[in-house]
Amino acid sequence: MLHIVDDEEIIRDSLTWLAQSRAIAATAYASGAALLSAMEHAVDVDAQGECILLDVRMPVLSGVALFDQLTQRGITRRRPVIFLTGHGDVPMAVDMLKNGAFDFFEKPFNDNQLMDRVLEALQASREAGKQEAVHNRLQALSGREREVLDLILAGKMNKVIADALGISMRTVEVHRAHIFDKMNVKTAVELARLLK
Amino acid sequence: MPERRHVLRWTLPILLMLLFLTTLIWLPRQAQQMESNERQEQLIADSLWVEQAIRFQLNRDDESMRLIGREIVNEHLKQDQFRSRLSALLRNNRELYRVTWFDAEGKPIASTDDVPISRHALSLPSQQAEKNSRTIGRPMYSAPAAPSDIAEPELMDYHIPLFREHHYLGSLVASYSLARVLNEMVPWWFAQDNEITITDTDDKAVARRTAGGPGLNVYTHQRELELPGLTLRLHTNSTKSAPKLLPNLLVGSVIVLSLGLLWSLWALWRDINRRMTAEDALVNEVAFRSAMENSLVTGMRARDLQGRITYVNPAFCKMVGISAAELVGKIPPMPYWVPEAMDEYKERFSNVLAGRVTPQFETIFQRQDGERFPVLIFESPLVDLNGKQTGWMGSILDVTDRKRVEDLNRKQEEKLQASARLASMGEIASTLAHELNQPLAAISSYTTGALNMMHNGTLDPTSLQPALEKINAQAQRAGHVIRSVHQFVKKREPTRQPVSIKSIVDNITPLIELQAQQFLVVLQTAIPANLPCVLGDAVLLEQVLLNLTRNAIQAMASVLPERRILRITATLDYATTAPESVTVSVLDQGHGIAPEVAAGLFSPFFSTKADGMGMGLNICRTTIEFHGGTLTYANNPAGGTIFRFCLPALADSHVAGNNLSTESARL
Repeated sequence: MLHIVDDEEIIRDSLTWLAQSRAIAATAYASGAALLSAMEHAVDVDAQGECILLDVRMPVLSGVALFDQLTQRGITRRRPVIFLTGHGDVPMAVDMLKNGAFDFFEKPFNDNQLMDRVLEALQASREAGKQEAVHNRLQALSGREREVLDLILAGKMNKVIADALGISMRTVEVHRAHIFDKMNVKTAVELARLLK
Repeated sequence: MPERRHVLRWTLPILLMLLFLTTLIWLPRQAQQMESNERQEQLIADSLWVEQAIRFQLNRDDESMRLIGREIVNEHLKQDQFRSRLSALLRNNRELYRVTWFDAEGKPIASTDDVPISRHALSLPSQQAEKNSRTIGRPMYSAPAAPSDIAEPELMDYHIPLFREHHYLGSLVASYSLARVLNEMVPWWFAQDNEITITDTDDKAVARRTAGGPGLNVYTHQRELELPGLTLRLHTNSTKSAPKLLPNLLVGSVIVLSLGLLWSLWALWRDINRRMTAEDALVNEVAFRSAMENSLVTGMRARDLQGRITYVNPAFCKMVGISAAELVGKIPPMPYWVPEAMDEYKERFSNVLAGRVTPQFETIFQRQDGERFPVLIFESPLVDLNGKQTGWMGSILDVTDRKRVEDLNRKQEEKLQASARLASMGEIASTLAHELNQPLAAISSYTTGALNMMHNGTLDPTSLQPALEKINAQAQRAGHVIRSVHQFVKKREPTRQPVSIKSIVDNITPLIELQAQQFLVVLQTAIPANLPCVLGDAVLLEQVLLNLTRNAIQAMASVLPERRILRITATLDYATTAPESVTVSVLDQGHGIAPEVAAGLFSPFFSTKADGMGMGLNICRTTIEFHGGTLTYANNPAGGTIFRFCLPALADSHVAGNNLSTESARL
């Protein structure tokens, strides 16, 4: 989902049209406030990934201020932000890049290059979603399970693990089953790939 | 040191003054002393003389008595003859009171008195003297005494014992009245001035003569009068008082005059003191003023009524680089006059001679090395003590620095304005870019989207239509933006009205002069008063002239100062056909126009100046052509460039005043 924020209707409309031509779902917001209220209830990033396209020059809440607020609320963690800047706003846009913006485009820009970048941002968003999921699963493991996990990832056999931790083989097997279950994998190889 | 000199200067007069005063006091005293001494001496001499006279007379009487005594002894003189004989003597010698001839027993034989006195009737001293004289056999005087029982004055008896062959015959007694002695023997002139007293040995006064009043005991003298058997004392006591200290008018007047002299000396001293104080103050004041004048950075120049320099201060000399000695006494033309502005000086100088002075004006002077510098001059009349004007005093300010600062300020301001203009231009450009970017971006997005769809084969003609309509709308919006900008920058429509070239030039002369002064350029205008008007926009024509004069002034910035003359002339050109034209020329003597520059002279964006826009001459030509004229240039035969523009003259548009003058000329 591409979130387009611009104060000018015709720009929102033309960008939506452009996104549709590249099969990208897009939602337009007339102001930063509209975006913030829409994001209030957004729980998770959708499967396609999400990306925000911000016009720097906007009345009331400028693109920069909006970006700061989004960052504070953690919304940008999984939603890359691309800025659209006018002439002369480049130094500010570079600052935004340093602060974690995904990219910026100076008007007039090449529309398809912008869309290519949007697709990349969506991709990054999806990746970020996966990473977050793995992270969440790891959080669900108990302390002993983490120890067992570390030894599994080190390629140790159950027997060795049991010896190292001073527990029975049986207990190791129970932990191992729990870990695979919680991490949503079936094999140790799959687990290793997930946590690579 | 001046302290000591001051003291020394006053010591001598004060000493002299003290000496004079001492003398003044001492001299009368001395005179008095001298007079006193003189009188005393005179008195002594006179007393001596009197004593001598008395003695002499007594001696003569003595001799007469002795003669008579001898005659008695020789019996040549009888008793009956005695009286007649002695009466004659007594008549001549009035000091003798009486003469008596006594016999040995003391009975009077004969006497000058009618009733002869017996010897025992004589006073006791007399009887004593008689005894003594008989004893020693010599005549003797008795102490003066009054006879005991007869009313007679005090008498001094001279006893002459008469002996014949040692036989005592009796005695001859001559009685002197001492009072008469004084009366007869002391001359009147002496008696007049002196109290004369005869005293006996006991200092008892026996006779006194006070013809001139009592003596004052100031000048006194006493002399012993030694007589046989008797010593008398002669006292003289002058009736003259002690000499007065201020004896007469002469001394008094001398003193008064001296006091007057002293007073006038004092007055003189006081006056000199005051004068010296005033002089000191004056010297201080002069020193103060000259120090002030010397420290001034303002040049000062005084001129008399003929315009001759009478005074210059160091600042002025420094300013023009000529010494005061060379400047004072100079009459125009002055060495610091700039040749190219000579006419201006001469005109102003003739005004000065006529008694009219511009109180404040700016002009250009040159230093000795030929360097020009702008000056600001203030002139005011120089008036002497009697309120009569004797010349003019001018203070001259070298305003090079001020001009430089003004110039700098102006440039700064121009820069500021330029940057302000640039800033606003940037703002306009930014707004413009945004305004144009939006529709263009939208158009771009729509078309790209449409193309994408065409490639994908997902293009839906029904959805394409609104997109195309939106594209159209955005294109129109962009066009509208462009149009509004065009309208924003579009110039106002010029107006055409009859205007006179003279009024245009007059209007902008102050502006031109402002620039000209910065570059030390002299402006000369020659515009005939009877020039016809032209049809045009005065503001635009002023802009053209300002442009041309600015170029001309800047072209002369690098040439020698004496060549920096800017001329504006206007002529009526009859040579051209039907409509007459007015030609206005701007002549400079600057660096001229190089051939390669000449080619692009009127092209837009062509400039030889570092900060030039290159629009000046282009706009000028457009403006002149708009007025139906031409703008051309030519090389100035005197060096530099001439820009000329011709404008069609308006028929019957002579200025009213000029019409009158032409008509009167015809009459």
